Amino acid sequence: MNKTVDNWEPKIVAFLCNWCSYAGADLAGVSRLQYPPNLRVIRVPCSGRINPLYIVKALQQGVDGVLVSGCHPGDCHYISGNLVARRKFALLKNFLAYLGIEPERVQFSWVSASEGSRFAALIEKVVDEVKELGPAKKLVKKGL
Amino acid sequence: MLQGLIKKEDLKKLIASVKKEGTFYGLIRGSEGLSLSELGPDDEVTLDYSNFKMPPKRQFFPFSEVICTYEDESMTDLPLSEEKAVIFGVRPCDALSLLYLDKIFIDEKFTDPYYRSRRDNSLIISLACREPLKTCFCTSVGASPAGKKGADILAFEVKDSLLFEACSEKGTRFMENYPAIFKKPGKADIKARDEEVSAAEKRVQTIDLSGITEKLQGCFDSPLWEEISQRCLGCGVCTYTCPTCHCFGLYDEKVELKGRRIRVQDSCMFPSFTLEASGHNPRTSNEERMRQRIMHKFRYTVENFEDIFCVGCGRCISNCPVNMDIRETLAEVIK
Amino acid sequence: MNNIEIKLKDLVKDLFAGEKIDVLIGYENGSLPLRSRPCFVHSAGEVDRLVWNSYCTNNLAVYLPRIFQRQEHKKEETPPPRVGIIAKGCDARSVVGLLKENQVIKENIIVIGMPCSGMIDPAKVEAALDGAGPYSCQGEVDGSLEVTTSSGEKKRLKREEVTAEACLECSHPLAEGADLQIEGEPKEACDERYEKIREFEAKSTEERWQSFVKEISKCIRCYACRQACPNCYCKICFVDQTKPRWIGASDELSNVMIYHIGRIFHQAGRCVECDACVHACPMDIDLRLFTQKLVKDVKELFDYVPGLSVEELPPLWTFKQDDSQSFITEP
Repeated sequence: MNKTVDNWEPKIVAFLCNWCSYAGADLAGVSRLQYPPNLRVIRVPCSGRINPLYIVKALQQGVDGVLVSGCHPGDCHYISGNLVARRKFALLKNFLAYLGIEPERVQFSWVSASEGSRFAALIEKVVDEVKELGPAKKLVKKGL
Repeated sequence: MLQGLIKKEDLKKLIASVKKEGTFYGLIRGSEGLSLSELGPDDEVTLDYSNFKMPPKRQFFPFSEVICTYEDESMTDLPLSEEKAVIFGVRPCDALSLLYLDKIFIDEKFTDPYYRSRRDNSLIISLACREPLKTCFCTSVGASPAGKKGADILAFEVKDSLLFEACSEKGTRFMENYPAIFKKPGKADIKARDEEVSAAEKRVQTIDLSGITEKLQGCFDSPLWEEISQRCLGCGVCTYTCPTCHCFGLYDEKVELKGRRIRVQDSCMFPSFTLEASGHNPRTSNEERMRQRIMHKFRYTVENFEDIFCVGCGRCISNCPVNMDIRETLAEVIK
Repeated sequence: MNNIEIKLKDLVKDLFAGEKIDVLIGYENGSLPLRSRPCFVHSAGEVDRLVWNSYCTNNLAVYLPRIFQRQEHKKEETPPPRVGIIAKGCDARSVVGLLKENQVIKENIIVIGMPCSGMIDPAKVEAALDGAGPYSCQGEVDGSLEVTTSSGEKKRLKREEVTAEACLECSHPLAEGADLQIEGEPKEACDERYEKIREFEAKSTEERWQSFVKEISKCIRCYACRQACPNCYCKICFVDQTKPRWIGASDELSNVMIYHIGRIFHQAGRCVECDACVHACPMDIDLRLFTQKLVKDVKELFDYVPGLSVEELPPLWTFKQDDSQSFITEP
């Protein structure tokens, strides 16, 4: 089911934690790894800083996908920020899917500072999946 | 006064004729209950109801509407509504509420063009009440089950027919347009109607509101308000379902240099209603907000417009999650 | 007057006589059929206003945060009031949640547990009468509700058929851990739950979205659901915040959806399924379909049921090393 419009490229907002995933993205860059340029990165101190409203609000503003990535469990700079966040994300992911928002629109992952290639592969996968879905329509504010 | 009789099944013909020039709104019972909706000739018009949930003010004063858009330095007003509409099935109390809203939105100095264009382009056919609800108190506030105020045509159910009676010039012209549809009513029909009307009027519960405005003038600082408002949860049900509540706010929504200005109904029961830009809020407590709502309807509007802005429809009573009863509140004030 | 009501009044009179409480939050007769409503009793002399019947639907715990907050706000030198509260199973669980979140002063509250046999939902009665217009109610006889329609017709409605959804599915009808308990026969706890949620989960993404759109389209943004919820005590709700303004003020569907998503998600691990929001909604939105999903997930993922113990940490304040992370995207 490929709904992609000609030349349409998805816009994806990525919330990356400062200590791991943002550094992982950096490493992907300095290692000259190729990955799709569809990301708009927002750096946050920790994945635990993510308020579910950030994600929903991003969808309302018309982004086609949201990615949240933090340190691997056990590696959090603040010891347990990502572990507390993990519970919140599990519920949110289920809840948004339950309401009928395609699960691929909102994704969560862990990328460490040394995983440049994992980051590139992750983005490739997320962008592919969102492309497959086509432009976001649900939850998007109309008329602006 | 022009009168005409129309068989209930012939309403379809009327709808079909009106459809040629405009929209016909009436009540249908859908999956989501009773609501005022656009009707086609094939829709089953509901006549069997007490009243519907959202007041007819929504037809003229929608919950939110874009009033202008802007881009860079240019601004565009949204075009006024040109839709010709016939609104059928409004209860007499609600029809009266429209006259009150007119006082607010159609003023010599300040006229609201959006509201006005919708009002000018529509014709109200109200349907007299036969079965007042337990929450109705229209006769105590100047309305009645067969009140004509605010209606262009008042319709009565008489057996298998509807008796239309023009109450305004607009209504007379409307009825004259469709001579084939309306028949001349017989004496028996009119007698049957008169009996129904007086029976319905007797069934409406009454409350004593004598001197309410004067009482309210003297009880701004009364401890009464705290007592009354204890139970109130502070939601906006009463104001949003009220046929006369009309306060609104203006909001801008923009993306870079492009945006729109939206008018949204607001409720005096919300703390944010009075929140000032500085962060100060002059009306912080539930009791002050409750006082404002009652004062506005039963005192300030009397002082400014010589009318109590309540038509006794009872929506605020039946929809309140904690059964705040405005009749009891008023009785407390009078006591 | 029923037996329970007499016991209750005696107990409350004793509490006032012993100067144990300054105010009691209970129920009094409402002004409409099938309605009892919250009331505040300040002295033994007023106790006779209290009632206990099948129409005490409101969750009274909603008043607690504001009673205790208000003192702080007014900065009065008087000590915070000592409050007695009449509690069904769900109200008591809400009180536990509020205690946990420090919205209630433990020393200042006396919870009077009621043997709740489930409340009657006036909306169901109206539906059963099929829009027959105004009616009056003669009370309950042998497990049936007797009502008279405006045309004088007497009807008997089976109690189970008009019992509120939340009560039918109630897992804790007895206010466990209440300070005082009124003896009586509570309703049996229900174990068969979440059937509707499972049904909904089984639908396709598109079907679920259409249902969500349909329900939310009814919303008039009166915030009755928020105001009726004991857990919604934020001083400034996210919808009212202006810096930043999270969502627009209009009734544009995405705004309304985000309000509901935000509010319901905020109840994760806190919602006791009392359905105060459902009963408060003037537009009959099936909020339970959405609130219950989170309750179910919290139970399944974190094995947590809200409102049972003051000490147990809420699920979203804590974590386990081995929490499920099957939702994580692996490249």
